[in-house]
Amino acid sequence: MTKIEVYDGAMCCSTGVCGVDVDQALVNFAADVEWAKQQGVKIERFNLGQQPLQFANNPRVKSFLERSGEGSLPLILVDSEVALAGRYPSRAELTRWARLVAVPTVSQAEGSCCSGDSCC
Amino acid sequence: MRFLDHVPAFLFFTGKGGVGKTSLSCATAIRLARQGKKVLLVSTDPASNVGQVFSQTIGNSITVIANVAGLSALEIDPQLAAQQYRERIVGPVRGLLPDSAVKSIEEQLSGACTTEIAAFDEFTALLTDGALIAAYDHIIFDTAPTGHTIRLLQLPGAWSSFIEANPGGASCLGPLSGLDKQRQQYADAVKALSDPDHTRLILVSRAQKTTLDEVARTHQELAAIGLSRQYLVINGVLPEREALHDALAAAIYRHEQEAIVAMPAVLRDLPIDYLPLKAANLVGVEALSSLFSDRDEAIPVAASTVADVMDLPRLSTLVDEIAKTGHGLVMMMGKGGVGKTTLAAAVAVALAKRGLPVHLTTSDPAAHLTDTLLGTLDNLDVSRIDPHTEIARYREHVLDTKGKDLDAQGRAMLEEDLRSPCTEEIAVFQAFSRIIREAGKKFIVMDTAPTGHTLLLLDATGAFHREATRHIDPLLHHTTPMMRLQDPERTKVMIVTLAETTPVLEAAGLQEELRRAGIEPWAWLINNSLSATSTSSRLLKQRAAFELAQIEAVRTRHAERVALVPMQIDEPVGIERLLNLVEP
Repeated sequence: MTKIEVYDGAMCCSTGVCGVDVDQALVNFAADVEWAKQQGVKIERFNLGQQPLQFANNPRVKSFLERSGEGSLPLILVDSEVALAGRYPSRAELTRWARLVAVPTVSQAEGSCCSGDSCC
Repeated sequence: MRFLDHVPAFLFFTGKGGVGKTSLSCATAIRLARQGKKVLLVSTDPASNVGQVFSQTIGNSITVIANVAGLSALEIDPQLAAQQYRERIVGPVRGLLPDSAVKSIEEQLSGACTTEIAAFDEFTALLTDGALIAAYDHIIFDTAPTGHTIRLLQLPGAWSSFIEANPGGASCLGPLSGLDKQRQQYADAVKALSDPDHTRLILVSRAQKTTLDEVARTHQELAAIGLSRQYLVINGVLPEREALHDALAAAIYRHEQEAIVAMPAVLRDLPIDYLPLKAANLVGVEALSSLFSDRDEAIPVAASTVADVMDLPRLSTLVDEIAKTGHGLVMMMGKGGVGKTTLAAAVAVALAKRGLPVHLTTSDPAAHLTDTLLGTLDNLDVSRIDPHTEIARYREHVLDTKGKDLDAQGRAMLEEDLRSPCTEEIAVFQAFSRIIREAGKKFIVMDTAPTGHTLLLLDATGAFHREATRHIDPLLHHTTPMMRLQDPERTKVMIVTLAETTPVLEAAGLQEELRRAGIEPWAWLINNSLSATSTSSRLLKQRAAFELAQIEAVRTRHAERVALVPMQIDEPVGIERLLNLVEP
C-alpha cells in the first residue's frame, strides 16, 4: 500500500489556526489529509517544530533541508520518493498517489480526466 | 490553625505574588519537620526566595536544609525548565539539521506555553515519583501565582479530554505533543491531585476585595477540575488595636473587615484561618516559627530614612510629561492586584481633564472600569476587550472565510482546532491591535491583563511583526503593532508594583521579558506606599520602614523614572478620588 509522508515546517498546529493569519492552504490540506485517512490511505505528517528527529533520520529529508532550507517545506514523500515540495498537494494529487478511485469533488468537476471507469 | 490539622501527603499553597505563600509554606514545613516528619519543600515560583529564607543556596536539585532537621527543599525555575525542555527536542538534531532549521524549531518552542508545560512537567514528575513519596511524609508546594497555577493544573484535564476527542492525535496540541510518552504520568498526577486523602490545597489571600474575588475564582476553577479539598488562609490582617489612634490604619482596618464580611459566599464555607500582619517580612527559621503566633517582634523604626522617599516624584509629574506628546499609547503592566486598573483610570481621567482625547481600555477579564470610574467625562471613551466575545468573533470569522469551502468533516476539524488555547491569545491580540491603531490621534490608556497573559499577547505581536516584515515589501511604509510598542515616542509602558520583595522581583522579571521583546519600560509606579503617608500607627510605620529597601532597589537598579503613589485613606473609586491620586 502507498505510504505518503508530509514534512511540515515548524508550526504550532497542522491547521495553522495558531498563526496570526490562518493560511487557507493549511486549512484545506488538513481537511484533505483527514479525508484521505477516511479512505484508508496511509498518510502521516511530521512537524519540524515537534518531531525534528524524523527529519534528521531520513537522509532524503535531511539533504533536502540542507540544499533548500526549511523555507522550502513542506516536502512530500510517496513511498519514500520525493513527490512534491514547496506546496501542499491537492486532493486530486493525493488521489493519484494513493491510486484511489476518485470521488467527484468540486475542484475536479470541470476536469474530464477522471470521469471514466478508471482513474488516470 | 485549621489548615495544619491532619495534614495529608501533598500540600499546595496558591495565591498571587506578595500574599505570603513563601512564608506560609516555609513556616508549615518547619513546623511539620519539628514534629519529626520528613518534609520536602518545593518552590515553582519564578521569583522563589526559599533559599533566602533559609540563608542557603538551593537550586533545582533536592537540597538538605542545614538548620532544620528533616527538611529538604527544591526550587524549580520555570525558565530553566523550559530551556531544558527545548533542549530535549532540539539537542538531538543540533549539528544534524542545518542551523537555520534548528533556529526555526527553537523559535517555535520559545512561546509562553512551552514555559508553562515545562514547569508542569517537572512538577508532575514529583507527584508521581514513588521513591520520593516513600522518602517524605509531606511534600509542600509553594506554587507559582494563581493564573499560572490554574493553567498548570488545568492542562492535564484539558489534555486528556483533547486526546479522547482527537483520536487522530495530529491536532493542535502544540508543544504538548512533545510529551506524548508521559500520558500515564499525567493521568496519575491528576489522580493524586484530586484525591483529598492525598492533597490539600491552601488558598492564600489578603483581606482585600479584589484579592478575595480572585481567590474565589481560583477556588471555583480548581474545584471544577476536581481539587475540591481547599482551605483558606487570610494573611496579614491589620490588628484592631492599630486602628485606634491613626486615620490611615483605621481606614485599612475598616476596609479589611468589610472585605472579610463581604467575601464571596463560595469562600465562606471553607475552613478559614486568619493571620495577623507582622511588622517585618519573615526571613530566617526563628522568625518563621513565630508566624503562627500572635506575638510580634518590636523592631525600632529608623525614622529619618522615611523622609528620603518624599523626594521621589508623584504620579502628577509623569502625567505632565505624558500630556506633552498630545497622543500615544500608555500601558500599565504588572501582576494582578497591584492596582493597574486604578492607576490606568487615574492617568486617563487626568489627561481627559486637561482637554486631551483619551480612550481607556482593558483586556483584563477581571477588571471593571465602570466600577472604578463611577461616572463619565468629556474627552474620555471607555471600552473593554472581552476575551469571550473576541474568541467567538474570531472563530466565526475563520469558519466563514477560510472554512467556507470545506466539507463537513474538514469543517469539524477546523472547529476543533479553533478550540485550542492559542486561539484566545490570537483573538485578543486582534482586538488589541485594532485599538492601538487609534493611538496616532489620541491617547490610548490600557490596563493590561496580568503578566503571563500580557506576555502571550506580546508573543503574538512578535509573531505578527515577523510575519508582516516577511511578506511586506521592505520599501513600503508600514507600521506593525510591535514596531509601535517598541517606539518610545509612541508607547509608554509603566510597570506597576508594590514596595514589597516579591512584587518588586516579579516586576523586574516582567521588565526583563519586555526588554527581550525590545520594549523598554518608560517608568515604574510604586503603588499603595505606606512610606509616602504620614501614618502614626507603630505597625504601619514599621512596614513603611521595610518599604525603603525595595523603593531604593527600584530607584537605583530597575527604573529609569519612578513615581510613588501613597496608600489612600479612601478607596480610589470615582472620578474625584482618582484625581486625588494625580494631585501634585
